[in-house]
Amino acid sequence: MNNGTAPTRQKDSLADVVEMLLDKGVVINADIAVTVGETELLGIKLRAAIASFETASQYGLEFPEGTDMERVEAASGRGEIGKPPERGLTVRAGATDSDEPDDETSEVVADDASEDTADEESTAETESANASADDDN
Amino acid sequence: MSESPADFETGRYLYCVALDDEGTSLSTTGLDDEPVRVVREAGLVAVVHDCTSLYDSDSATQIQRWILTHQSVVDDAGEAFGTPLPFQFDTIVRGDDEALRSWLSDEAETLTDHLDALAGRWEYRIEIVWDEAAAREELEEADDELRDLAERREEASEGTQFLLNKQYESRLDQLVSEQRRAEAADLADRLSGEVTDLVDLGERSTVGLDIGGADEDVDVLARFSVLATDDEQEAVGLLLDDVAADPGIEVRFTGPWPPYTFTPELGGGDAPDEV
Repeated sequence: MNNGTAPTRQKDSLADVVEMLLDKGVVINADIAVTVGETELLGIKLRAAIASFETASQYGLEFPEGTDMERVEAASGRGEIGKPPERGLTVRAGATDSDEPDDETSEVVADDASEDTADEESTAETESANASADDDN
Repeated sequence: MSESPADFETGRYLYCVALDDEGTSLSTTGLDDEPVRVVREAGLVAVVHDCTSLYDSDSATQIQRWILTHQSVVDDAGEAFGTPLPFQFDTIVRGDDEALRSWLSDEAETLTDHLDALAGRWEYRIEIVWDEAAAREELEEADDELRDLAERREEASEGTQFLLNKQYESRLDQLVSEQRRAEAADLADRLSGEVTDLVDLGERSTVGLDIGGADEDVDVLARFSVLATDDEQEAVGLLLDDVAADPGIEVRFTGPWPPYTFTPELGGGDAPDEV
């Protein structure tokens, strides 16, 4: 019940941002755009890498907690769209366990097909859940 | 296209396009600290940085950083110029400023129409989480067919029990799914009445991942993206208060975002509001 009235941007909005930027947004279907025709290829690589976001986000980048956005919104009734997330970026890769991001990514990608370790399971489940959700529709 | 993705010498990484507001400038940095600038043409501004290759990486951290930076540039542009048309990550226009201006000029009418329609509106995302376990229990008690299956299962041999159990679970899944869809449709109806536009995002992130959320195992009843003015956003907030009054329901309401979900596809026939 503490939800509702005011929309917020917090660190758990990261999923929204990723989805919006990779899946939404204006797409140019014209020769002038470099990405045309290569989108599939690019998409696969990006998506594969992003499959480890869940892990990476623990070590990498997060939206600022608390955030000025609520204050900004409350103060202005909006018009501005709040504090750019970049200012809240915290890069902590070096400050925590050192064996994370890059190697992990390729492992996750490779293992995705065999879906046998604990970490992959969540990815695999998500995918199959997606598949069945599609079926339902 | 026959050229490889890296096959260009000059390009402009495109963050967003907005209606020009003469005298307004933008000072910010983009991906990899590239200086961001605006290219003006036909009453429009394109927010860009110069680049010579695509942005692609195997590193999730790297991509995450790029994505957040991209978003922050679009935020800055939105503050300066009003609601922008945000482009998909890694959209690069081949060529120099001249090429970009010529493209802006070609697409001016379409872009301006869309920007006019979006003016004063932002995207908000709504995720409704429900207590699916409780819903299951209620259905188990209420459904005659399930009760019948349960009774027969009690008395059956082991092999039959297995089959009856399958039947039971499948019937229950179906009922839960039906209820979820009915409630989601009802919510969509109620929300649609309050906003400029609504898109049903489905239960799961379309990127197929649960990222950044604290609770990975929550049961999502529905996800929507809405396009709303400030007034409409307040109305949605009130409606969501009402929805969240149900103790089994949790609501996530995020925004305001640039209207990523309410953008057109350009240059390949018209497919407005492509999702």
